[in-house]
Amino acid sequence: MVNELDDSDPTHAICVDSLSKSFGSGEDRVIAVNDISFRVDSGDIVGLLGPNGAGKTTTIKSMLGIVTPDAGAVEIDGVDVYSNPKAAYKNMEAMMEGARNHYWRLTVRENLEYFASIAGENPAAIRDQHDDLLEIFDLREFENEQVRNLSRGMKQKVAIASTLGRNVNVVFLDEPTLGLDIESSLKLRQSLRDLATERELTVVLSSHDMDVIADICDRVIIMKDGGIIADDRVEALLNTFESSEYRITVQDINASSIKSDGLINGLNDVTEIEDCIQLEITGDIKTFYQVIEELEARDAKLIDIESKSVDLEDVFMKITKGGD
Amino acid sequence: MVGNTGGYRHLLTAVVKRNLLMYIRYPINSLGRVVMDIGLFVVLFGGGTLLAGQAMDDSIEGIVVGYFLWMLTIQSFQGIAEEIQQEANWGTLERHFMTPFGFPIVMAAKSIAILITTFVFASILLLAMMIITGTWLHLDIITILPIVLLTLSSAFGVGFAASGLTVLYKNIGSWFGLLNFVFLGLIAAPTLNVPGIAFLPLVQGSELLQRAMSNGVRLWEFQLSSLLTLASVGVGYLLIGYLIFHMCQKRARKLGTLGDY
Repeated sequence: MVNELDDSDPTHAICVDSLSKSFGSGEDRVIAVNDISFRVDSGDIVGLLGPNGAGKTTTIKSMLGIVTPDAGAVEIDGVDVYSNPKAAYKNMEAMMEGARNHYWRLTVRENLEYFASIAGENPAAIRDQHDDLLEIFDLREFENEQVRNLSRGMKQKVAIASTLGRNVNVVFLDEPTLGLDIESSLKLRQSLRDLATERELTVVLSSHDMDVIADICDRVIIMKDGGIIADDRVEALLNTFESSEYRITVQDINASSIKSDGLINGLNDVTEIEDCIQLEITGDIKTFYQVIEELEARDAKLIDIESKSVDLEDVFMKITKGGD
Repeated sequence: MVGNTGGYRHLLTAVVKRNLLMYIRYPINSLGRVVMDIGLFVVLFGGGTLLAGQAMDDSIEGIVVGYFLWMLTIQSFQGIAEEIQQEANWGTLERHFMTPFGFPIVMAAKSIAILITTFVFASILLLAMMIITGTWLHLDIITILPIVLLTLSSAFGVGFAASGLTVLYKNIGSWFGLLNFVFLGLIAAPTLNVPGIAFLPLVQGSELLQRAMSNGVRLWEFQLSSLLTLASVGVGYLLIGYLIFHMCQKRARKLGTLGDY
């Protein structure tokens, strides 16, 4: 599931090579990021997933150059972030998790103009771009309102809008939908997806919310204990685990014998429901047919076969728990 | 964009505008600052006149100039230190690191913005002090401005060093109050009595400003060595302060604590 690095493709917007970062020393040393490497193609939206302490935020901060790694290199649009940060920052912006990222005493538009200007943009020249952002994020009617007067969801939108308020190719968003209600989160996901497509942005997005990743991202990198344990397109990950769980309902067979003889491969659970028994099977398609053959050999009557569909959360749980 | 003068102009305009807007959007705090500064002077001046009588009147020009410089120093020092502390607190500090100009240029723009607002506040204060005391000082801008700017450079240097320590150790604001009294001592320190004392922050600038504003000495009438000392102290402390800040932020990046608060 972890993609091999392809250095021959010149369209990489982000190159991360052998990145490592630890904190503390001696017995207290914690390895936050452990020798990770990956590439992100131009225009891709990549989700960074992982349980708490997996190393996501340290990875993002290292990619931004605001955490100095112990080893490794990061390039944004072919520019080394550590040796040439000014040139790298021309093409990247970031919204960090849990921070305001903007000024509450400035108005929405003043925030957009300020953060574009401190990167050298002429606010008058990109006013149309800001107008579009205000429309996309439903902030137009609040453009002259001080941010402190807005709801939490609106503030989050201002944070994202101000991150996208200048001309960059690469954007990092750490937990962009954190704390939003479902409706706001859904609207924000759609806006982000449209904007990224329209502007051909390369986006690295970290979130605890699997639905956010599944909705927005083309590709997912799953981290655990500082390392990458899965890196693939969202569909490919879902396909890998698709139909790997089956619920088979049969009649005319003894539940206790199935449990005791151990002849059914991949058997997870056996449940008796009225005159039927339900078998929970985990395995690939070959395992599934072996189980069917075994049941037919026992003259069991097949009542129902249900293939359990998986979502990204199932995939995530399986992958992250796989090593435990 | 970045790299041409337009880019720098947009940066400076944005930073100055934001600074002014922040003062306007926190009106009670801004007004309180003026009232407090004038109020403290009234207490000092009134108390001094009651206790010292004629002696106070004889040295009133020196007191007004000293208080003016002290307020400029405190506001410059605290301005830059509190700016970085607040940016870290608000989660906006990292965004100032990640600009194509580089952090030193952004901080230079912020320093200019702070200087502008500091001068506005200090000018109001100076006018109020002259009205209260009935003492009218020599206000030759061509002389005063370079002396004040070079004198405050050392205060900015101390401010940068304090900001660096803030980025690294977080909430150390209580030490800032102590530094304010150290500044007062330096401004009041006589340069002639102790060898080398002119190379401490503020000392030489205070001496020259007293002579310019109280006695009407013009910039070109000062000894060249005095002006060179002033310039080297101002630039020197500014560079040392920024170097300390740079080392602290580098360390914070290594520890992964930059922007944490």
